[in-house]
Amino acid sequence: MSRRMVSGPVAVPTAAALAVALVLAGALAIAAVLAAAGGVSGASPRHPSAAAARHGSGAAIAAVGAENQYANVISQIGGRFVKVTAIMSNPNTDPHEFEASPSVARAVATARLVVQNGLGYDSFMGTLESASPSSGRKVIDVQTLLRLPDGTRNPHLWYDPSTMPKVAAAVAKDLGELEPSHRSVFERNLRRFDRSLEPWRAAIAALEKRFAGAPVATTEPVADDLLAAAGLVDRTPFAFQAAIMNGVDPSPQSVSTEQSLLKGRVKVLVYNEQVTNTVTQSLLAIARAHHIPIVGVYETMPTPGYDYQSWMTAEVHALTAALAHGRSAPRL
Amino acid sequence: MTGFLASDPVRVALVVGAMAAVVSGVVGVFTVVRGQSFAGHAFGDLGTLGGSGAFLLNVNPLWGFVSVGAVVAGAMELVGVQRRRGRDVATGIVLGAALGAAALLLYLDTTRSSTTGAAVTVLFGSIFAVASGSLPVMAGLAGAGVLAVVALYRPLLLSSFHPELASVRGVPVRAVTLGFLVLMGVTVSLTSMVVGTILSPALLVGPAACALRLSRRPGVAMVLAAGIGLVVTWAGIALAYASATWPPSHAGWPVSFFVVALVFLAYLGVEAGAAARG
Repeated sequence: MSRRMVSGPVAVPTAAALAVALVLAGALAIAAVLAAAGGVSGASPRHPSAAAARHGSGAAIAAVGAENQYANVISQIGGRFVKVTAIMSNPNTDPHEFEASPSVARAVATARLVVQNGLGYDSFMGTLESASPSSGRKVIDVQTLLRLPDGTRNPHLWYDPSTMPKVAAAVAKDLGELEPSHRSVFERNLRRFDRSLEPWRAAIAALEKRFAGAPVATTEPVADDLLAAAGLVDRTPFAFQAAIMNGVDPSPQSVSTEQSLLKGRVKVLVYNEQVTNTVTQSLLAIARAHHIPIVGVYETMPTPGYDYQSWMTAEVHALTAALAHGRSAPRL
Repeated sequence: MTGFLASDPVRVALVVGAMAAVVSGVVGVFTVVRGQSFAGHAFGDLGTLGGSGAFLLNVNPLWGFVSVGAVVAGAMELVGVQRRRGRDVATGIVLGAALGAAALLLYLDTTRSSTTGAAVTVLFGSIFAVASGSLPVMAGLAGAGVLAVVALYRPLLLSSFHPELASVRGVPVRAVTLGFLVLMGVTVSLTSMVVGTILSPALLVGPAACALRLSRRPGVAMVLAAGIGLVVTWAGIALAYASATWPPSHAGWPVSFFVVALVFLAYLGVEAGAAARG
């Protein structure tokens, strides 16, 4: 094909660069404004938790929870004897997409206790730990603790009611070894933590008693273990949940299945507020049109105002209200 | 393949794909004839910026593609950047900067607004996830695009092949050039919804290049290009649907891969046919 030139003005490269650079500058300005507007929520989770740090008298044990729910449990067990940093706690961030920053690397390098989820959910933690080897650092990998195989398809372990008691016990044991003089405090805190899970367990049992077998749909596997514990039946194909979790497009077949579920065949849509895209948003619209209540669930503990127990209990109460009264709770 | 046509996402995809294929066939022939396929790439790269910005503003990526396309068309006409010769370094650097800025916006998309699939949607398209509410807008853009080519057919043809003659005959060459760049911007927006910004030039230029191998007459080539585009797009959608049972993930292969692969095969086939004819 011959290249025929259209007559037009002769321009120097700098002019070309200047004009298109103006477009770029505009876009960057928008980005900068947005980033500044959301600066607090966007930046703070990357930095060490200041509240926990204030107690430090120099002797506090530096600890890191890769997700803020694990950090929360560490601080409940360690109390004022630990200084905890939560790596991921921004409710607007999808933890699956997280990339570590230098401040995170520093926190991990100085930590004497680390709790991480495993199952590839926070694989950057392993990288950071091997980047600053320390013989004195104790690492609790929840996957390893629970002896789960690498092929476990749902990495959101903290929604399983049996997970956190084991994590808390491991934290108490490790803290006791790091600071033997306070061992009795950690053990007392552990017993208190275990007791404080009772309202959650009771709420799950009540939910199961009333609604066991109720069909529900999900957008993402995050709360699947909790649904299973309450005897609710997740009708969404796992291929759909996995596609949304991994940030790829679900197949049209699984989208069709999910859409048909939301046209009256399920009682609740369990919606992951931290992993959304065009497809999940369109599902919300279908659910609303068919009066299917929506319950929001989270990858990391929504803050402020929640600790691990109250968050989990609130989720179960929201599910119960949705099933009993058709009440939506898209956000906790 | 059971339930193929009964599936809502498939039906929306077929409609979106058809609209994009027809417009890009018609506009693509002029793009190839005028030697502006590089401008098509520029629209794709800068569309990435618009699409990723749209996610940040929580609006349909189509609006990002279209608004950037319109602005860029004006900027290109102003400085004559659509012609590659002598300026490839400058345009290369500017387009690189655009993609770099898009990388920042995509980072902000995933870290600020939890839109997990933004990168895939913008770069490689999410035709099975097009909101059906945006269909009327896309139909309007596609219809306007085809009508504009029909209305501007004579002056476009003359200014494409004989720009000097066109000026002498009183054709407003600059206005026609600007109008055509806007048309390209709109077309690339539509093809970006099908195969994403990175691959959109393939759908714009590929079927048109095949068609011009089969017929030198622009009108015939446009019809052929639209037909080839329609076949590869619909076949790509059907293959993506069928691929849901394929390894390794049993969750389907991306549509954009199939569409662009079929464009490439069509081009190879046409070239081989031309070579065989001598």
